[in-house]
Amino acid sequence: MSKPTLLLVDDEERILRSLRMLFFGGYQVRMTTDPREAIGILRDERVHVIVSDQRMPVMQGSELLRHAREVSPATMRILLTGYSDLDASIASVNEGEVFRYLMKPWDAEEVKNVVAEAAAIAEASFTVQPHAHDAATSAAKPRVLIMDNDEATARAVHETLSDRCEIIWAADAQHAMEELAKQDVSVVVSDLMMGKTNVGYILKTIKQLNPRTQCIIVTSFNDTSRLIELINQAQITRFLPKPLSKGLLARNLESMLERFDALRNQPELQKRQTVAPISDPQEKINSGNFLGLLGRLRARISV
Amino acid sequence: MRQNNHSEIEINSLINSIDAISPECTLEQVAGLFSEHKYEKLLSLPVVENGRPVGVISRYRFMDIYLKRYARELHGKRPIRDFLNDKPLLVELDQPLAVAAQHIAANMKYPLTEDFIITRHGDYIGVGFVMDLLNTMEVQMRANTRDLEQANARLKSSQLALVQSEKMASLGQMVAGIAHEINTPLGYVQNNVAVGQALFQQVQSMIAGYEALADTLLDEQATEAGIAALMQQISAFRHDMNAREMLGEMNGLMEDSLYGIAQISELVLNLKNFSRMDAAATEAVSLNDCIESALNIGRNVLKDKVDVVRELGDLPRITCAPSQLNQVFLNLFTNAAQAMEGQGRLSIRSWSVDNSVYVSVADNGKGIPEKILSRIFDPFFTTKAVGEGTGLGLAISHQIIAKHGGQIRVESQVGEGTRFEIRLPIEPPKAMHQPAEPEAAV
Repeated sequence: MSKPTLLLVDDEERILRSLRMLFFGGYQVRMTTDPREAIGILRDERVHVIVSDQRMPVMQGSELLRHAREVSPATMRILLTGYSDLDASIASVNEGEVFRYLMKPWDAEEVKNVVAEAAAIAEASFTVQPHAHDAATSAAKPRVLIMDNDEATARAVHETLSDRCEIIWAADAQHAMEELAKQDVSVVVSDLMMGKTNVGYILKTIKQLNPRTQCIIVTSFNDTSRLIELINQAQITRFLPKPLSKGLLARNLESMLERFDALRNQPELQKRQTVAPISDPQEKINSGNFLGLLGRLRARISV
Repeated sequence: MRQNNHSEIEINSLINSIDAISPECTLEQVAGLFSEHKYEKLLSLPVVENGRPVGVISRYRFMDIYLKRYARELHGKRPIRDFLNDKPLLVELDQPLAVAAQHIAANMKYPLTEDFIITRHGDYIGVGFVMDLLNTMEVQMRANTRDLEQANARLKSSQLALVQSEKMASLGQMVAGIAHEINTPLGYVQNNVAVGQALFQQVQSMIAGYEALADTLLDEQATEAGIAALMQQISAFRHDMNAREMLGEMNGLMEDSLYGIAQISELVLNLKNFSRMDAAATEAVSLNDCIESALNIGRNVLKDKVDVVRELGDLPRITCAPSQLNQVFLNLFTNAAQAMEGQGRLSIRSWSVDNSVYVSVADNGKGIPEKILSRIFDPFFTTKAVGEGTGLGLAISHQIIAKHGGQIRVESQVGEGTRFEIRLPIEPPKAMHQPAEPEAAV
């Protein structure tokens, strides 16, 4: 098998040289300080993984990754940045749909592992044929779970989807977990806090229940480091600020429902949303408890 | 303002219950009373008729009359009514102390010869001493002053807290920017070391392999098979790693690392220069250095979107608090950068005329509308969203410049840009020679 191709983009050449050495031997390394050149490379070559800086003079990293999505959708996208501002991290979710959001200075071993994982996933994606949308298989009504004690969110989702979907509204964490245990969910629309409960661990467990479930975060809560954690460990696919814009919500619900369907037809692509292990020890315990509870509940239901 | 206990002292506490005399009392009798022990503290005797005070007869007035030759014989039997002051100082019991004091102060005569009469609904109840009243007032005033001082201190500390929060906000922005600047070199330096470490281990085992081969080749008892095994091991190493190329590359990375470390050192030095934590609060510096220091620190905000044009003239050194002026310049530079939509230009000029040094900071940003131009130095005035700015940046800048005995002016044209001009005297006001107040240091 030929070596996977890795594209490195950073306006600082020394970062590029340093990373090239880290991947020496294992990859076909391409690198550039110019995001526009990077788009050309993505168009002309089969690139497995792109690792991009966020703050660059001509183009932000999240914007480059958005182009990458269009030009080369199979390429796995990783952001490597020294500047963790909120706008950048929101853009990396919504536009870049990044696989990982990594911080400078980075841990060499971790970056190596993440890139290796991404390269393997990309390799599998290249062979997936675009699948014609099959209306028959998506006959079942999609389920949308709202995890928010704010009624406005529930109302907005209802108004957007009306009776196209089965909509469940959970206003507390317990109820949300019970619903997730009962049946698979297509799309979760969730705030980060339900009352005083931080539901991060639930969101981080969702991909383990069903890798196809898509997660939209709606929140007024602005904490960059927590958002970055959710990108990596929950693979949230959208981050929408509150108060919710209905147009924005409608568009994103639509595309996430489509993606849920697409993944049914192309399960190979599910791996693209592989999550990183939960880093917070308490959340790890909570997640484990939740999965345990789930096992018992599902066993009872299936009996 | 909060009511203080002392201000609630009532007239009540000033009452001396003195038996009043009747207006029919003779001068001779009054003479006897004045010499009585119980009246010895009194300046005057209250005269009351039907419960109502009709006047006072003061010791002073009494002496004036009675010590004249033949006065006793002439006037001894006459009633006191003929001699009394029928406009005594009157104070109603339920009057506030301050009102009573005011009334007495306005009407009392010098030298002080009379006490005042305290009444309840016009009826006589006792005598008050002016000195007691004055003492009480003084106690109360001291308490009020203390209240005022406390209120002032509270105000000052809340203002300090605000200044602090503005400083923290700009510091926060600055630190985020600097963190990015440091994280980039730190990123590759750390990675280079990690990569170098791995390479070093590989090279170590490779050398061990070569040494083992050399030893074996020199060993007369070595077998062909043993040598072949070692050769194979070395060949595997060589297959795994292109030592020559990797070491060559590593050489470059070492150079990069040194460069990165120099960059980090420079950033730290810039921070140190900017904060001047280790320098005297006031010293003689060139404003051009303050400008450069602020530009270094603000580089992160400026570098991608602002072309900085410097026209810095020869400036005499001025005695100032450099850390404060650095803060002023950084504030102006970051404001300018924020005013720009897209790529912009920041022109910084400095010059000196007569006894003043001038700095002009001009941007070609969106400008400030005329109706708010006069308010931009007001505390809390901000055009930024809640949480993005405290609205104190320019207010504090204004204050710092004023403390230095200088002026800051602004002119702006919407759509064209904004220009600030700072004038500072070469000889600063006397207060500047003293150590700056700790609150003002960055």
